[in-house]
Amino acid sequence: MHALHNRRPGLAARIDPPKPHPPAGVGLLALLALALVLSSPVAGAGDVRSADMLAHTCAGCHGTDGASAGAAMPTIAGMNKSYLLTVLTDYKTGLRQSTIMGRIMRGYTDQEIAAMAGWFAARPWVSTERPVDGQVAHRGEQIHLSRCETCHADGGRGQDATSPRLAGQWAPYIRHVLKACRDTGLRCKTRQGAERVMALDDAEIDALAHYYESQK
Amino acid sequence: MSTSDRATTKPRNTTISSASARSKAADTSRRRFLGTGAAVLTTATLGAGGWLGAASRAAAQAAPSAPKARVVVVGGGYGGAIAAKYLKLADPDIRVTLIERSPYYVSCPLSNEVISGERDIDSLTFDYRGLTRRGVAVMQDEIVAVDPEAHYVRGAGGARYNYDKLILAPGVSFDYDPIDGMSEAVAESTIPHAWKAGAQTLLLRRQLQAMPDGGVVAIVAPPNPFRCPPGPYERAAQMALYFKHHKPKAKILILDAKDAFSKQALFQAGWQEHYGDMIEWVPGAAGGIIEAVDPKTRTLTGLVEDFQADVVNLIPHQRAAKLAVDAGLTDAAGWCPVDQQTFASEQAPDIHVIGDAAIAGAMPKSGYAANSQGKVCAAAVAAAINGEPPPAPSYVNTCYSILAHDHGISVAGVYELKDGNIVSVPGAGGLSPVDADARTRAMEVEYAIGWFRNITADMFT
Repeated sequence: MHALHNRRPGLAARIDPPKPHPPAGVGLLALLALALVLSSPVAGAGDVRSADMLAHTCAGCHGTDGASAGAAMPTIAGMNKSYLLTVLTDYKTGLRQSTIMGRIMRGYTDQEIAAMAGWFAARPWVSTERPVDGQVAHRGEQIHLSRCETCHADGGRGQDATSPRLAGQWAPYIRHVLKACRDTGLRCKTRQGAERVMALDDAEIDALAHYYESQK
Repeated sequence: MSTSDRATTKPRNTTISSASARSKAADTSRRRFLGTGAAVLTTATLGAGGWLGAASRAAAQAAPSAPKARVVVVGGGYGGAIAAKYLKLADPDIRVTLIERSPYYVSCPLSNEVISGERDIDSLTFDYRGLTRRGVAVMQDEIVAVDPEAHYVRGAGGARYNYDKLILAPGVSFDYDPIDGMSEAVAESTIPHAWKAGAQTLLLRRQLQAMPDGGVVAIVAPPNPFRCPPGPYERAAQMALYFKHHKPKAKILILDAKDAFSKQALFQAGWQEHYGDMIEWVPGAAGGIIEAVDPKTRTLTGLVEDFQADVVNLIPHQRAAKLAVDAGLTDAAGWCPVDQQTFASEQAPDIHVIGDAAIAGAMPKSGYAANSQGKVCAAAVAAAINGEPPPAPSYVNTCYSILAHDHGISVAGVYELKDGNIVSVPGAGGLSPVDADARTRAMEVEYAIGWFRNITADMFT
């Protein structure tokens, strides 16, 4: 957690030092130059890595533009930006348990993590296209309506800083997260959610995960 | 690839020919323009970069039939397919041609599971229709020569593909000379290396099936550097997984040219946990270095002692693909030195080399590394064509190994450019914990499969 608000030492040296103020005579030119810098994602970048560049490295596991090809890896495109920022930061600090994400997120500064969160939030959500078992989905819907809809509104389509989108997400991923929460207490983001998840049995978790994936 | 795909590639061939027939003078002047742009940009201010970009676009508009620039990518694997796709994503006005000798791609990652019988080779096989849909012109041809001066590559049948920028992702070639008795013919018939997935993968599988219980398999592991550093050791585990259920008295001997290997502690603990003493690793210093093989008797001559095996899987010494060697792009050790930010060859202008053939600092020769390099290179090439400076790069590697049905391990790396070198970001990356619990080990198998699904979707859709 100590690293959370500290820029990695290496980056400080790589960021361009602040430019001195120009003489008054070139004020207009400087203004134009500034406009150019602000309008272009590349201009003025120097050694700062663009969101494109950073986010493309994730695609090998989370799919092109964050639309996962399955099944244990979640789609992260179109997720709420604050949610992504929290999750990615929690991986970096170790607050959120992981097998590999912690090792990876420790390689980025807080600014870079924010840039990646914003980049993925701006991509379109892509639901999975797997066949649905209507009976299982219906059982899941009953559980959802009685216990989950208040936070995961609109059949899991709703999302905010603490509730990720679930509709159209890969069921194996949802199942893994729910079981990790229920069995180990890990990845239970809110107390309210954790209490409800811990009351679920395996069949209910399967049905719930299937229901969410079926919602596009 | 189906006949209908062949039919669709024909007109593209025609287009390329007609493009090459454009006036030489126009070509040369445009190439010179691009070259000048790139040269200026190394010291250019950002304002000038923007202006050159605009000028380049204006030049492209003046000749509407001509693409903004022609980029040829040779090799459609983990690096090349990605470079082609991400170049098209970065700038759809660039004409991107991917030239690959085979109509299909068979993935090396996960091919150890074919050897153990855990999966079918079809599940590792992909075609290039997804790239065609993204606007990449995919040509089936074997490139046999590069002319860096005239800016073209030549196919086996004599076809000439002109380029403004060339990206080579040719992979590795095998050096059989250090081990007497080995040759390509021996590898294809008797002692498969199976280090490029395909016929030899299936041959090795059949040899394991035919081996009697109580037999010995010798895996001869090469010296560094080589493609897929954890590969030989994952292979041993996958073979053991098959033997455990079918030939429990079998032995697997790893005869290593090295004294240490990737994820070593994790592999050795996993081997012991699942397979007891079935796998024995002989490091180079303990006699693992092999000097000769007799394919008839399957006898291996070591520096210290000889070994007799029923099945020999000899993974040869490696260097960059022959195409890169012939084009003069390699160093004395046989690998391609490149600018670590753009992957531009240090030996020839307008040629970039990515993937296993390239020297990429701290990055291993892995599929994910090639994927990451393909994206960095594509961004740099698109920037150069548009008169912009190369963007600050970001690189990642993740690599999973599957030791048993419920036992996966991984290594990750996050890299940055520092003083012109690709270095690991301190504090990031590293191995799965040695003391990971069963849940974590099982999850890493699921992630290994998910890794494969996503990285191949990134390449081929």
